[in-house]
Amino acid sequence: MTSPADGRQRWLTLLGRRWVLIVLLVVVWWVLATLLRGIHTLSLSTATDTWFTALLRELTAVIRGNRTESPVFIYLFNPIRVGIEGFIDSIRAVISVPAPGNLIPLMGWLGTLAVIALIVYATSNLRTAALCTALLLGCLVLGMWTYTLDTLAMTLGAVALSLAIGLPLGVWAGLSDRVMAALRPGLDLAQILPTLVYLAPLALVFLIGVASATIATMVYSIPICIRITAHAIRSLRASPLEAATAMGSTRWQLLTKVQLPMARRTIILGINQTTLAALSFVVIAALIGAPGLGKPVVEALIIRDVGDGIVAGIAVVLLAIMLDRATTAAVVHTDEVLDMTEHQRRLRRIGLVVAGLATIAAIIASRYLMWAAVVPERLDIGEQVGRIAGTVVTWITTNLGFATTGLNEFITVTVLNPVEGILANAPWYLTVIMISVLAAIIGGRTAGLVAVCLLTAIVVIGLWNDTMITLAQVLLATVVVMVVGVVLGVLAGRSTRVERALKPLLDAGQTLPAFVYLVPVLALFGPTRFASIVCGVFYAAPVVVRVVADGVRGVPAEMVEAATSAGSTRTQIITKVQLPASRRSLMLGANQGLIFVLAVVVIGGFVGAGGLGYLVIVGQSKPELAGKGLAAGLAIVLLGIVLDRIAQSGGRSRPTGQDRWAPGH
Amino acid sequence: MPLPAARDWRAASVHNPSMSAAPTIRVEGLWKVFGPHPQRLVGSPDADLSRSELRTRTGCTVAVKDVTFDVAAGEVFVVMGLSGSGKSTLVRCLTRLVDPTAGRVWLGGEDIVAVGSSRLRHLRRTKFSMVFQHFGLLPHRRVIDNIAYALEVNGAARDVRHARAHEVIALVGLQGYEQAFPEQLSGGMQQRVGLARALAVDPEVLFLDEPFSALDPLIRRDMQTEVRRLHRDLGKTMVFITHDLAEAMKLGDRVAIMRDGAIVQIGTPEEIIAHPVDDYVADFTRDIPASHVLSLGTIARPLATGEQAAEVALPAATIVRDATATILAADGPIRVVDGTTEKGVVGATDVLRLISGEHR
Amino acid sequence: MDIHPLSTRGACRRNARPLAGLPGLALIVLALAACGGGVNEAADTAASPAAEAPAAETETAAPEPTLPDCGDWGIAMHAWVGYTASAQVVAEVAKNVLGCTITQTTLDEAGTTYDAMEAGSVDVIIEDWGGGRWQEWVDRGAIGEAGLNGNVGLIGMYVPQWMCDANPDIADSANLNKYAEQFITPESGGKGAWYEGPPGYTTIGEKMIAANKLNYKVINTGSEAALIDLFTKAAKNETPALGYFYEPQNFLAKVQLCRINFPANDWTDAAEASGLTDYPETPLVKLATTTLLESGSPFATLVQNFSWTNADQNQVALDIESGMSPAEAAQKWIDANKDTVNGWLAGTGASVE
Repeated sequence: MTSPADGRQRWLTLLGRRWVLIVLLVVVWWVLATLLRGIHTLSLSTATDTWFTALLRELTAVIRGNRTESPVFIYLFNPIRVGIEGFIDSIRAVISVPAPGNLIPLMGWLGTLAVIALIVYATSNLRTAALCTALLLGCLVLGMWTYTLDTLAMTLGAVALSLAIGLPLGVWAGLSDRVMAALRPGLDLAQILPTLVYLAPLALVFLIGVASATIATMVYSIPICIRITAHAIRSLRASPLEAATAMGSTRWQLLTKVQLPMARRTIILGINQTTLAALSFVVIAALIGAPGLGKPVVEALIIRDVGDGIVAGIAVVLLAIMLDRATTAAVVHTDEVLDMTEHQRRLRRIGLVVAGLATIAAIIASRYLMWAAVVPERLDIGEQVGRIAGTVVTWITTNLGFATTGLNEFITVTVLNPVEGILANAPWYLTVIMISVLAAIIGGRTAGLVAVCLLTAIVVIGLWNDTMITLAQVLLATVVVMVVGVVLGVLAGRSTRVERALKPLLDAGQTLPAFVYLVPVLALFGPTRFASIVCGVFYAAPVVVRVVADGVRGVPAEMVEAATSAGSTRTQIITKVQLPASRRSLMLGANQGLIFVLAVVVIGGFVGAGGLGYLVIVGQSKPELAGKGLAAGLAIVLLGIVLDRIAQSGGRSRPTGQDRWAPGH
Repeated sequence: MPLPAARDWRAASVHNPSMSAAPTIRVEGLWKVFGPHPQRLVGSPDADLSRSELRTRTGCTVAVKDVTFDVAAGEVFVVMGLSGSGKSTLVRCLTRLVDPTAGRVWLGGEDIVAVGSSRLRHLRRTKFSMVFQHFGLLPHRRVIDNIAYALEVNGAARDVRHARAHEVIALVGLQGYEQAFPEQLSGGMQQRVGLARALAVDPEVLFLDEPFSALDPLIRRDMQTEVRRLHRDLGKTMVFITHDLAEAMKLGDRVAIMRDGAIVQIGTPEEIIAHPVDDYVADFTRDIPASHVLSLGTIARPLATGEQAAEVALPAATIVRDATATILAADGPIRVVDGTTEKGVVGATDVLRLISGEHR
Repeated sequence: MDIHPLSTRGACRRNARPLAGLPGLALIVLALAACGGGVNEAADTAASPAAEAPAAETETAAPEPTLPDCGDWGIAMHAWVGYTASAQVVAEVAKNVLGCTITQTTLDEAGTTYDAMEAGSVDVIIEDWGGGRWQEWVDRGAIGEAGLNGNVGLIGMYVPQWMCDANPDIADSANLNKYAEQFITPESGGKGAWYEGPPGYTTIGEKMIAANKLNYKVINTGSEAALIDLFTKAAKNETPALGYFYEPQNFLAKVQLCRINFPANDWTDAAEASGLTDYPETPLVKLATTTLLESGSPFATLVQNFSWTNADQNQVALDIESGMSPAEAAQKWIDANKDTVNGWLAGTGASVE
């Protein structure tokens, strides 16, 4: 029995609930968008400039015109470019690029392999060294040896430069709040900046080639290094620091004797992450002339040679695993050494000496014996692997094409087109207002304000319609990523077996260059917006699965036990305990998913997604559209900031029961 | 447990501290306010508001409010308070780990609050040292290098500092663990390292910030005994912070009780049990067995009319618990004497009433 | 008793230096490098191998020792197979006959590559479609035209052959609207889908639709791979598809497409096209850095002389697509067309037998 007053009360509570408000708003939006369909959509043909893109185009022309004369270039940019080129080329001269007239670089493949194995052995242990050797041999038999070493040289060079800048800055940011506050906007921006967006501006200043590729890689990896290093310093337990201060340490003593040694593990983890980030970027940087594995990967897309692309992709994954294990093992190693007996230590010393001698022998052999200098052709199975991979992909695309085309059309008609209709085919002001109001409801007043300002900015620079086309795809891809991520993440979080089975897939998914799956995706879905969504899902899902699985695993066991003993079914435990309790992780996952999806928006331009991604690509190849490309890059960044703001504050601001009822605060 | 030893220790150090000629530490009007414009609150009537009210009104928290006390040379001065009472902030102000908002801290004639940073470092390296609740050991250093750390940062050569470290290692019973890393030791052993580290510089004053709160009860008792022993052997001045009144009573020559940043009472354990200054203090002294702290002199009463005192006489300083057997065995209230003066009598009923808690 | 079981009385220092031996090793390596010799000495007299594939080059014949020094040059590699064919043939002749050191760098067409040429990382574009879009770089003195390469490019809009067979009048652009309905996809918003060329290619689809009032919507495919896929499927499944394509492109030899004819071309610069008329026939151009053109290197002569037909290019491209490596396919063509190659080499003093 409910009295009228109760009923009214219930309605009010219902309106107070956020999701009810959101649903109502979306319904209103949909009705208005349908009524006002096609009015003031600001749609613009690709070839048309706006005042802003024209300005940018002029600017690029001016920059290009000044590259040989302006003092800024002569005394700043050009020396930087020459210096970095020289640095990278000196590494490549040792392992991957023979001097003119020479057959091999400083040493042949056997020597290089032995040196790498020795370094890994010396910094970790024999087992890791063996694993790394095996992985490199894998790259070798795939016929990717020179490419692999070029990538390695680029990666190591970029990492060395990144660390030289990132570690001191990270330590400084860890020590000083002011420095952290100064760096934070840059770090935040770097996190949401899609990688492909800054290739063009960099190439404009530092030209196509090794230097631009290295700098772009550094732009990508330095923030990661700074972030983790600063975190390493900041998250140290307070009491040893206090104790060391109380014993009269100077700040320098505190840093060198206490903070850095204590933060060592995390800092090395930072180096590990920096390295992997650099590797993944060096592959992409093939677009602006980076040598290495990225080349066959990018070429594969262009000449539609699935096999070669997959082989190169596999080599990238092998190299990534190698770098990951080598740096991780270095951390574990120092702890292992502590537990070694004197006997073990002596054995290790002997082992190192033997390995050193073997390495010298290998280097000599690789300089004098043809088989050790140049990879023998009969070892190369890359072509066969490529052909097999190509056949498999062809089989899949011909036989699954039926189903995928159906899926593609179904999703496009029932979801994508209506969403795009609301966002892109409605008057721009309606969309700006609605998104901003939604942002304010979900993320708070600041998020709403950010949305209004930045969306208006996109309108002003003239890329509104393309941005909304992109947004529709990003939203849909994020939803799919979240569904996939939550399902797999919950499975992995609940079962170690599932987790172990998924791990290699996730590892590969996170390191495989997105270009590798473009061709199969194209073959399956054709040049459609859905193909671009599929790419985004592939790219972002591993991260989301990881984050969600971590969250589910992090739910205290007592909570689950309590729920079990209260008689919950498994579904109830998942939906009523594990998912709500890992809400923070879910929000983080959504945020990450969004950012990762956004990062491959540009890639979507290669498979018919249109929108901003296509503009970025077209701007890179057509000088007359350079301004549009740069503006599209900017629009992606602005859109990214808006989405990030909403998702991030959405994760933070929602009050939990505890916050609401906590007494006395 | 080892009662005689405890009593010996107590007897050896209970001088009248307030009469001591030159206090080692003198704290005058010490304030610490966290928040914007902390200076404004010092001495203002606002400082007397309740914490939550103050916070909403000014955004500030008064952690230490106008604290003044002396610590005599060789004295164990315990600061006792519940969590949030400001005791940890207080001890950090004394060592300048936290800069006080106002007030003076004299340490051997020098105002710690006013010294420059290099002088402060010198003092920290030589004059006083600190033991922490969570040990604060450096996880990447072996025990011996943890202990030698203060000597190391002061520039002592490796063999000099290791020689000294070995001395203090012997002192706290850590022999054999010199090469271990802190995480390989149990909590109790880790705090021994913390103690050894603090003693390594042979400081004049030792600050101990809840050093045993993180330990199991049994180990805590061992460590308390250890501190008593060290104090007896080395005679260091100690400022000991705790939230455990029993620990305060057991270790302190004098105890200061803190509440909301201010000291509500300073006195010997016996004074505090016998004459709690307000209900707040009385409330948590209730759980302390009074017979373990009070002396016969405190509870002695005049002989009632018609009552016959026993022949037995005991010194006024005798702790009630130690006199219980004698009193119960006597055929009447025993006499309490201080030297030659009669302080009164204590009977079996008095003791039983005290033990059963009715006395208060 | 108070110690963990895993503890040891280890005498090792926490900061043990596992890398202590490495500097020594580095010294040895440097010493070895300094003393030279080995396989490199043998290679010094031989032709310089390409950086990418040293293995493939070790057995090539040594050039005449009297040739002027060719030098170290870069050829830009563009996406399409036809380009690869042309560039690879030039590269093989330069390496194997002239003894040049050639680096091949894959780059996006046009601006990207012009920039790279200005930066000095590549020197030659062997096939450029853009009518004068390089002018800015020429004006700055970075790039010069190196003549026509003999191929003639023709861009156009195509449908699979079966559509022309079924409806012959579709090949006339005036009738396109009649068939628009057949080309509707979920992507095209109720209009016919007009699959436009990849980003770097000359495209005026938006203008053509507007000027001819076509009921079509441009879908930017983003890559040639997408177009090839589209037409392959359309031909195989007999589904409708209207898309951008061009010749010379050996794909046309595999899948039959039918070109839609717009009114006769009346423009050369895409920026000034009205959109009413068809794409022009474009003689394809070679571009080189001024550094190369003024170097006097025999490679400059080779680049300037190089010229072949669409059929030549298709032949090499087809070999590449059917599984030969570009180098093998190029060599096969060179061996079969020595006269043509010798024509290119005129003035260098070198020749193939």
